[in-house]
Amino acid sequence: MSETAVSVILSKKKQFDREPDRRSADFHDKLFQLEAEGELVVQRISGDYVEVPTKYGIAKKIQKANLWHHKSCGQCGHIPGYSTSIFWIMRKLGYGYHDPEDQTSCTAWNYYASATSNQAAQAAVALRNFAAAYETGYFPLIHCGTSYGHYKEVRSELLHDGALREQVRKVLAKLGKEMVIPEEIVHYSEWLYAVREEIRSRMVYDFSNIAVTVHPACHYYKLVEGDAIFDPDVYHGQRTAAVSGLVQSMGADLRSYSTFFDCCGFGFRHILVQRDFTRSFSTLRKIEVMKAEADPDVVLTHDTGCVTALDKSQFAARAHERNVGIPVLSEAQFAALAMGAHPFKVCQLHWHSTNYRPLLEKMGIDWREAWKEFEVDAKRLERGEQEFLTWADVDA
Amino acid sequence: MDERVVVIGGGPAGLSAAIAAGQLGAPVTVVEKLGYLGGRPIEEHYASLTPHLADAEEVMGGMVHDLEACADVEILLESEVVGVSEGDAPFTVSIRTPRGVVERTSPSVIVATGFQHFDPGRETQLYGYYEFPDVVALQDLEAMLKEGSVVRPSNGEAPKRICFVQCVGSRDRQIGNEYCSKVCCGVASKEATEVRMALPDSEVFIFYIDMRMYGYWESQIYWPAQEKHHVQYVKGIITEVLPKDGKLLVRGEDTTMGRPMEIPMDLVVLSVGMEPSPGTRRMAQMLGIEQNKYGFVEAKNPPLDTVSTSRDGVFAVGTALGPADLEDCASSGGLAAARAVARLGTRVGG
Amino acid sequence: MPAATLDPYRKRDSVAGHGEFPLEVKQRLIGMVMEDPRFPEYLYGCYECGICVAACPSARFYDFSPRRIAQAASRRDVELMFQQMQEDIWECSQCFSCLRCPRGNNPGGIITVMREVAVKEGLHSAREALAGYSRIIYKIMSTGTQVSPDMLQPDAFPDWGPEVKDVSENLDLWRRMLPPETLHTTTTGWKVADRTLVELYVIWLETGALDMIAQVDRGIHMILEELMEERLEEEGIEV
Repeated sequence: MSETAVSVILSKKKQFDREPDRRSADFHDKLFQLEAEGELVVQRISGDYVEVPTKYGIAKKIQKANLWHHKSCGQCGHIPGYSTSIFWIMRKLGYGYHDPEDQTSCTAWNYYASATSNQAAQAAVALRNFAAAYETGYFPLIHCGTSYGHYKEVRSELLHDGALREQVRKVLAKLGKEMVIPEEIVHYSEWLYAVREEIRSRMVYDFSNIAVTVHPACHYYKLVEGDAIFDPDVYHGQRTAAVSGLVQSMGADLRSYSTFFDCCGFGFRHILVQRDFTRSFSTLRKIEVMKAEADPDVVLTHDTGCVTALDKSQFAARAHERNVGIPVLSEAQFAALAMGAHPFKVCQLHWHSTNYRPLLEKMGIDWREAWKEFEVDAKRLERGEQEFLTWADVDA
Repeated sequence: MDERVVVIGGGPAGLSAAIAAGQLGAPVTVVEKLGYLGGRPIEEHYASLTPHLADAEEVMGGMVHDLEACADVEILLESEVVGVSEGDAPFTVSIRTPRGVVERTSPSVIVATGFQHFDPGRETQLYGYYEFPDVVALQDLEAMLKEGSVVRPSNGEAPKRICFVQCVGSRDRQIGNEYCSKVCCGVASKEATEVRMALPDSEVFIFYIDMRMYGYWESQIYWPAQEKHHVQYVKGIITEVLPKDGKLLVRGEDTTMGRPMEIPMDLVVLSVGMEPSPGTRRMAQMLGIEQNKYGFVEAKNPPLDTVSTSRDGVFAVGTALGPADLEDCASSGGLAAARAVARLGTRVGG
Repeated sequence: MPAATLDPYRKRDSVAGHGEFPLEVKQRLIGMVMEDPRFPEYLYGCYECGICVAACPSARFYDFSPRRIAQAASRRDVELMFQQMQEDIWECSQCFSCLRCPRGNNPGGIITVMREVAVKEGLHSAREALAGYSRIIYKIMSTGTQVSPDMLQPDAFPDWGPEVKDVSENLDLWRRMLPPETLHTTTTGWKVADRTLVELYVIWLETGALDMIAQVDRGIHMILEELMEERLEEEGIEV
């Protein structure tokens, strides 16, 4: 074929090669400078790690083992299968971890909702958690997208504001804690992305017929976007590769839709006190659009509020005969299911609202049988034969 | 010793400089990395030049003709400057040519290494240049205009609705290009006019922050585009381009009307700005001349000396200095030629 | 009384639904916003390009515009900013999609700062926006986790479907069936060590975060203050 303008254009668009990017002022420079000046301690990545590509082309290190799980209050409180799946995958892949009790919420949900906090308080909360992780030697892994985004903002404020550092240092001194900032702030979905081939190799189901849409979480990649994962092999590096990269590696049927950039409608205060906004936005701008354009079997996302807003908003919309009805999971639950996790004992799907049973059927998972197994365990606990279900029970 | 003016780069600014120097009687060497002269307009297949819509090949061909008519001109194609002597002028310039490395002695080197189009993959807004075939850049549309066939790359059909999105890669703190690229408003309006002439049934929109067509460009391009060709100018920038029902949905705010807009388009043209070419960065480093934070060569004494650099005897012209239109390129080329020849003249005459 | 404005967007205080405020009060409050150390990083200048509005979910639902926030702040328009502090700022969903601003502005961040001032000063809008929110504030400040399993009550979330009822009825059992040992809780998201709570209280007291809610809900403030001071006294920590 002779070369035409169109053929030249199309061949040029095949591959985006990122040139070194001027805006990529790397926060590490300032971080390590302050470390050298003795202003703060940097908790370094240790052991085995994976380098992942980011928005502005700087590689980010993701430590694979010995992680300190900075849990999410919304996940633990209302979507416990979310957190449990993250732990379960880590156990399955054989990576040691620490699930701390001296961790608090980042308190950013409240902060974004109500503003009943301030810069210094937020920074002190973040650094108290970082110091707690540092003391154990385990490296922090942040489960919540909002905590992750917020901590990156805090990091930037602390690095550039000496007065704030002083104020926070004084508070930390009262607690007997050092000022510690980890070398990287890492979201669990980045860890899943980093180990996606290991996950793929342990899949016990074929998900190639499972149609998936992804809702990228705003606080994951819009707040301090520079060190969010963008991979040239996932949407040509034009959208974040977190979640989508894993889905692609797992061989599921990844489908796009036109409002992928829109937020889920969570709104922080809105989900609690002004839910008409959340419901409308979630269903009209997200779920219905996905349904009409991609008809997915499941929506996957990687933040607490997004799972909640997208899942819980569909019930009322169905009553109004809207075109809704897509189950919503975190990609951690999705990956765990693929690796053979129990849908109720591990993924805790009975805490979800939108009907997930047709999805399980399509995956080849017998949910009736699984629920029976769950109830057998429940009876055992009710009879007092056992107080808690343990990892040994779910791995059996 | 045979001293020559060495011009690095054979685009509009380099040719302007070389022709002017040649016409002043100076021996000139033009070093061009491609196998032909003409620079970006030829390399990227521009259809016509802004603002007069003159055929790009004809204009650049005319310049090459003028250059070749000069008495002592050496044109080294497929060649690159690979070394320049340290210290004061005259410089020994090593040039890798297809026939091996040659050396020229020169009291004055003119850097005319130009710009490159901003790569829309680095854009902060979601324009999907690499995702969607029907999102193209200004120079892509130029190439289609030159072929006389403006189509949607996805299916070869003529687009009915086309829009231009301005300031892609320019005026953006996030990307790190805080400057205006100067020409994109004019070029987009010129191309919009050409599309309207080629496809009279089409609707053409330009989404902009503010239209920057200073001086005569206002009446040469902007007004005719609006008044005669009915190009629709909307103040408000597109933030997302998304596929929908076989078309591209563009989302932005119509800031004049104060409301969000979502409009289906067949073809989206990104008005990409200018960045220093790799050659400009490389040559600036090799010559040890100051660059600004964007990588363009820093003029030493602006505003009235636009071509002297931090190194005596080294001049920069055209878009090696920053975003420039063709008029700027010709002007700075001429000025640098005069400065360069003056240095040569002093030595020859003295 | 302030003169009626010629700006059709700006409403008089009485029309805007809140009391009359002297200009000096407005100037002081807006001054607090602008003097916040984050403010210069959140606002550079505004092109009026509309990118923030196009990306904004709240702009699609409310008469809300992050561009108007950035513009009012760029113009240092005290009257307009004050009006926004009484209304618009509570409509933002804090998703930070507006961070795509080519100028590097952060309208959502400006709003965060404006909200903080509104809360600190006990503006009517803050009290109204946070009505019904006190329980959450109490939860987060006293337990260190925001969302607890026992919040899932059918009467609180009637629009979330029947599964909420299932969860609340089986809460204790279902929590005990979670394999991670830290999740067997019902009143907090996970088990938070007692010492950790004390440390959190020190943070709230030392940074003035506790004082902020005095304006919004005096009752909750008193309860929290008592709780925290008592615990700190037990631990022998002085603040």
